[in-house]
Amino acid sequence: MSGVPRGKFRPAFRGWRAGRPFWGGLLLTLGGAEILLTLKASLDVVLHVGMQGLAGYLLPVVMLLCGLLILFSPSQRLFYSVIGVLVSLGSWVTSNLGGFFVGLLLGVAGSCCTFGWLPDQEPRVSRRQRRKEARAAKAVAQPLEREAGQTA
Amino acid sequence: MALSAEHPSERPDGATAPDAGDVPARRGRVRARRAAVMAVPATLVAAGLAVLTAEGALGVQFAISGMPFTVTATELKGDGFAQFGGMREMAEGSPNAGDTGGQVVVVTSVIKKATLTKLCQSVNLGGTNLVIKAGGGKNKVRASDLTTDSTELSGNARFTNIEIGNDASELNKAGPQGKGPKGVFSQQSDTVRITELRQTNYATTAAVFRLPGLKLGFSESGC
Repeated sequence: MSGVPRGKFRPAFRGWRAGRPFWGGLLLTLGGAEILLTLKASLDVVLHVGMQGLAGYLLPVVMLLCGLLILFSPSQRLFYSVIGVLVSLGSWVTSNLGGFFVGLLLGVAGSCCTFGWLPDQEPRVSRRQRRKEARAAKAVAQPLEREAGQTA
Repeated sequence: MALSAEHPSERPDGATAPDAGDVPARRGRVRARRAAVMAVPATLVAAGLAVLTAEGALGVQFAISGMPFTVTATELKGDGFAQFGGMREMAEGSPNAGDTGGQVVVVTSVIKKATLTKLCQSVNLGGTNLVIKAGGGKNKVRASDLTTDSTELSGNARFTNIEIGNDASELNKAGPQGKGPKGVFSQQSDTVRITELRQTNYATTAAVFRLPGLKLGFSESGC
């Protein structure tokens, strides 16, 4: 960050964020990390225990990877979000009730955000402005309707 | 880009004008209805999992470590019990190490099949406690291959066929998990029954818990 002036970095980051489901990917990554944090069992114990214990690690790692891939390869986001939501739900069984519910919640919310994300949308319009526009549209439409009724 | 050039008036005016040159006006966005297509089934499945767990139909796996947590139960019955001492090293630079130098002396207890009544498990998260309660009703909590590393263990215990003073590497009653390092004092028994159990644990690993009547919540006080 030190090399890049602040004034240039912020808009560039904004532009980078605009092209990918940033919050969805971030939430899914954080969810995976949170679950991993709650399972700090040393790996040799897990290996000793075998497959069942390994699944507890595997699922949050897949969550983490899906979250990062959503951020860095957003064109495949649908696939990653579907895998992400399934794995997040699966972590309830394998990994401390999904990191005591927190990681599960973050993972599912992140996957849903990613699934619902679409590129290249109209800029956000505030509700007040939208209402004003709707009223204006109505005012224009009503005389037209009356006219249409007269001709019919 | 051609579209945004056609509708310059749709851009939010004023505030974002200075950096508008760098940022495309058309950004990616989350469409609520599209997100709901996934959110609704996912919520249903999550609720279903929680209900199945609370009924004890679904076993869940626990592996917590490095953070001390307390387990209490009014009664614990177990088949295949082994216990031995050991040293656990925390991950390097762990924030939980404190003045212990990252090492904790623990008693490892392994129970092949355990049944617990009124299980209560709490983890101190600094300020608040996460409390999990289960097995208060008719159905008991069942756990298999329950391996706990405890620093404190109290209760009234009764063992059958106990062997005290074995070498920890030669234990055979608690299955493959119930083996310790060579040359360490240990004991094992066929069955164990502990009432008013109270444990301070550093790790529970690879235990499949069936938690009927699960209640998960935050509380000021632990167990």
